[in-house]
Amino acid sequence: MKIAYYFILILFCWSCSSDASDGDATTPTDDDAMTVTNPLLDFTVPSNFPDATYSIAQNPPTEKGFELGKKLFYDGQLASDGVVSCGFCHIQSFSFTHHTHITSHGVDGQIGTRNAQPLHNLAFMNEFTWDGAATFLDTQPIIPITAEVEMNETVSNVLSKLSADDDYPTLFAEAFGSEGVSADRMFKALSQFMVMMVSANSKYDKWERGEAVTFTDQEHAGRAVFNTKCASCHAGTLQTDQSYRNNGLPIDPVYNDIGRERVTGLSTDNRKFKVPSLRNIEITFPYMHDGRLGTLEDVLDFYTDGMVDSPTLDDQFRRPDGTFGLDISPEEKVQLIAFLKTLTDNDFIEDRRFAEF
Amino acid sequence: MRKYIALLAGVAILFTACNNNDEPGNIISDPGSLNLVFENTVDGTPLAMAPVTYTNSSNETYTINELKYIISNITLIKTDNTEYIYPVENSYFLINEDGSKTANLSDIPADTYKGIKFGFGVDPTKYPIESGTLNFIPLAEEAGMLWTWSAGYKFLKFEGDFTDATNPDDVTPFLYHVGSHGANLDNYKEVTLTLNEFQISGENTMSKTIQFDVAKIFDSVHTLSLEEKNEIMVDPENAPKIAENTSTAFSIIE
Repeated sequence: MKIAYYFILILFCWSCSSDASDGDATTPTDDDAMTVTNPLLDFTVPSNFPDATYSIAQNPPTEKGFELGKKLFYDGQLASDGVVSCGFCHIQSFSFTHHTHITSHGVDGQIGTRNAQPLHNLAFMNEFTWDGAATFLDTQPIIPITAEVEMNETVSNVLSKLSADDDYPTLFAEAFGSEGVSADRMFKALSQFMVMMVSANSKYDKWERGEAVTFTDQEHAGRAVFNTKCASCHAGTLQTDQSYRNNGLPIDPVYNDIGRERVTGLSTDNRKFKVPSLRNIEITFPYMHDGRLGTLEDVLDFYTDGMVDSPTLDDQFRRPDGTFGLDISPEEKVQLIAFLKTLTDNDFIEDRRFAEF
Repeated sequence: MRKYIALLAGVAILFTACNNNDEPGNIISDPGSLNLVFENTVDGTPLAMAPVTYTNSSNETYTINELKYIISNITLIKTDNTEYIYPVENSYFLINEDGSKTANLSDIPADTYKGIKFGFGVDPTKYPIESGTLNFIPLAEEAGMLWTWSAGYKFLKFEGDFTDATNPDDVTPFLYHVGSHGANLDNYKEVTLTLNEFQISGENTMSKTIQFDVAKIFDSVHTLSLEEKNEIMVDPENAPKIAENTSTAFSIIE
């Protein structure tokens, strides 16, 4: 009796499923019996992290999906010149940003107006890019692919190239369980690669989780300064409250970047940029949205002495005497930098899973 | 023997469970097709592109060079008020005055329907989470319906030239591009239209004409003057007004 019941249940589930391959560990790749093993990858939220914002259940990373996403990430075919891949500006050893230029380079040597952001812990972010122009990780790549000063390509053209490629049609089929190169699958594969980029093994993480590490006196002192003077914006374990703020950077007339106002059209968002996570901050120079500051010392000097006023300047930087900036002593700056260096995660930047070669 | 009975019962459940037309007395028919034909008009007459001129209620004379909008999330309402939600991944359509103006829906369960719901634009809560919705990107991109600096759709692209009554020789371009502004402002609108009852079945393809009155973009819930503002793109004050006006521009012609 029980056997018959289970048999019917299986039949029932099978008959109503529109796509039997969804979420399966084993996905048929063709009409015939050939199957490719495609195990789900283990996406684990580190115990000191908040919940993921990315809907892992809607697009669960699989081995083949991740591999496809990785190949796409490092493939110059996503750009009009066949060279400038995502990985061109997002280099693993610098926590997926780059160092050589202040603002980022695109095809034909064109220069963008902003500094490439590092890529890590994207599964925990609400919005993407310096101004929040992408509200979903799955759509973020549209911006660099189509921007003239970045990859200068069209999504349609990328799909044509991938469809005509020797390898991609098979890789798409293996990753998603049926034939077909599509925009949906391309962006989902890229997301599967990117959500797995979790950086949570810095000295700071281990300290937070109570693992066997000890902060030096300098690092402890720096953490105390950080908590008093930085953590109102660089909040929580990811050191960002994910808000957009004007931190008093003088306008660079070359770019005249209006920041988040470009996305919302609101004058109250003029010159506001995303509060960045400070993870791996030691290795993600240059700093600020346009990469104008080269070192952490420069950044702290800017926060104490370099700000200018404007109508949207964050109130936290307004001193009672009418000047702007944070009050951080030279000694505290040294301590802060010692603390910021505890946020470097060498395991992440050396993780072979994400490596181009 | 008991096993067989259980099995038979199970198979019976199996066959009925996936069928939407299992109400007693209904004649089960094959699914059918419905073509929604969008007819762009100005104050009730079929739209003509420039150099044909029109006048809005702000007494501004305008010509139209481009008119495109996105329709999505189509739902059909049955006579018993239950709804058939057309598969979301197939329900994104670009209506282009200089191109396709038809949304062809197929494989609709045979039934009697009396209404239709659809979205003007792209629902940010469904995009891109539901499977397949990203597949509209290439078409939207080719039609220039993506923002260039932001990862989102333009719901309406409406461009032309205008002159106002006091300066008839001063021809100025106008441009309305409306979409959502990141996660900050959602300009997606849902439109519900009531129709005379109609049958969908496998025997024939039904066609319904939806009129889109361009005049309502300027004059409906809100009145918009081109002289006051002729370029509206990421405009948190005026874009929601255009979206609201546009959502009133659709009606059924029967």
